[in-house]
Amino acid sequence: MSLPGKRVTRALLSSSILFFFAAFAGAAETTSQIVQVKIGAILASNQGDEFDSRLAHLKKQLEPLKYRSYRLLKEESQKVQRKGNATFDIPGGRSLVVTPQESGTKQLALRVHLQQGGKPLIDTTVRLNSGGNFLLGGPPHEGGALVISISATAQ
Amino acid sequence: MEVSDWDLVQKCQAGETSAFQELVSRYQQKIFMVVLGLLRDREASMDVAQEAFFRAYRKIKGFKGGSSFYTWLYRIAVNMAIDAQRRQKRNPLDFRENMDGVLEEQNEVEKDPFSNAHDKELRAGLIAAINDLTVEHKAVIILRTVEGLPYKDIGEILGCSEGTVMSRLHYARKKLQVKLKAFL
Amino acid sequence: MIKRCEDIRDRIGAWMDGELSRSGAEEVRVHLESCPACCEERRQLEKLQASLKAVLVAGPSNVSFERFWSGVEQRINRQRVWHEDFFGWVRDLSTPPQLAWLVPAVIILVLMGMFSLESFFPGSRLAVRRNNFAAVESIDGFGRNVAVLRENETKTTIIWLYQNQEGENESTGEKSDASPSF
Repeated sequence: MSLPGKRVTRALLSSSILFFFAAFAGAAETTSQIVQVKIGAILASNQGDEFDSRLAHLKKQLEPLKYRSYRLLKEESQKVQRKGNATFDIPGGRSLVVTPQESGTKQLALRVHLQQGGKPLIDTTVRLNSGGNFLLGGPPHEGGALVISISATAQ
Repeated sequence: MEVSDWDLVQKCQAGETSAFQELVSRYQQKIFMVVLGLLRDREASMDVAQEAFFRAYRKIKGFKGGSSFYTWLYRIAVNMAIDAQRRQKRNPLDFRENMDGVLEEQNEVEKDPFSNAHDKELRAGLIAAINDLTVEHKAVIILRTVEGLPYKDIGEILGCSEGTVMSRLHYARKKLQVKLKAFL
Repeated sequence: MIKRCEDIRDRIGAWMDGELSRSGAEEVRVHLESCPACCEERRQLEKLQASLKAVLVAGPSNVSFERFWSGVEQRINRQRVWHEDFFGWVRDLSTPPQLAWLVPAVIILVLMGMFSLESFFPGSRLAVRRNNFAAVESIDGFGRNVAVLRENETKTTIIWLYQNQEGENESTGEKSDASPSF
């Protein structure tokens, strides 16, 4: 191999090792003890064209629902110890119980239980990346539909 | 009896700068010619050759004699010349003209091998063809032609196998041969 | 024969350099004795080699090495200031082969930047998109219709509870004004 060729190989090799080391180090999953769960209860309706500016970061995610108006009704964040749960009061006499099932630093599994007046509406387990969110929606509310954005971050 | 390179190296390692001066006087012309062959610029080559010796001086305490001193020194100089050539390429200076000038001067030596018009054309074509070689091909051609080094030593200097040296020399000569077909 | 000649021609240069094994050299020599075409190749290579020597070996006539040592000595004696070495090192790093480190380094930096974006800009769109992979592992709607959708652009998972056909929510009696049309 030529001298420059050898140098390229050396440089590529060392930087690849560095890259893979960084990648593996980054991918290393450790158990997280605390999970921060954040919910946003949103009223989606076709009455008016208001888009709550506090929902700007969710605009793209809400667009597929095709409602004309979105208003943030409530936002709340709770820290949950491992194996604990967080209960959120949701407008319309509903309550949402979020229980982290598994929590690594990168991925989490959440059990989400929504109930209304003691009656269960939905019980689901969702696996998501730490810092990610998903939407739970559908229950009718004030002439529109209630949409709950649920996000969780391992700490 | 002439003191061996290794003895001088050991004296250098013990701090005798005069021993290093002796090594410099032994190899300065050879190193300069190899660097000149690669860089094609006299001033830059002189600078790189001196810098190569300086670098060798700084590293000489780490030289354990695993290879001969000259292959070790050549390796330093060739590496530096290759790096310098890359920097040259990024600078918009016409080094080729400098080399052509240098090579013109070589014609002034007493026994001019290119005395007739045909040979002068061959020389001009050869200069252009050498200039067009890749740095790897140029390095093997120069180390073999200028220094007459065996493939093993060339391999050690360039950090490649003897087989690679052989194949590189073959292809470098082929390229030159194709370009100079009309003159050979 | 043609193939044999090709094979021999590939080795004539090394043969001239005396770098072939004894048997290899003998093979080339014997072939050259009987093959005019390969002999011509040898002649051309010899002429090329002689021309190369003439051009490269003869030193430029007016190069003086008298001051060569003093140039080296000056370097040895000169106290190098730190920034000279540092810039020399940076300059060496920025030449093309060494530059190869830059490609993975940039990738690492971009990835690190993306992974830490959430901590710098909580809730940023890019961070949300990166993080948004969510998989529904189990779901129980207690007799209600449930749809699970995944929106491609933002990679958002949406779980949607459908009201009963009468349009009445059995618990609240509230009426939704529109069903999503995603």
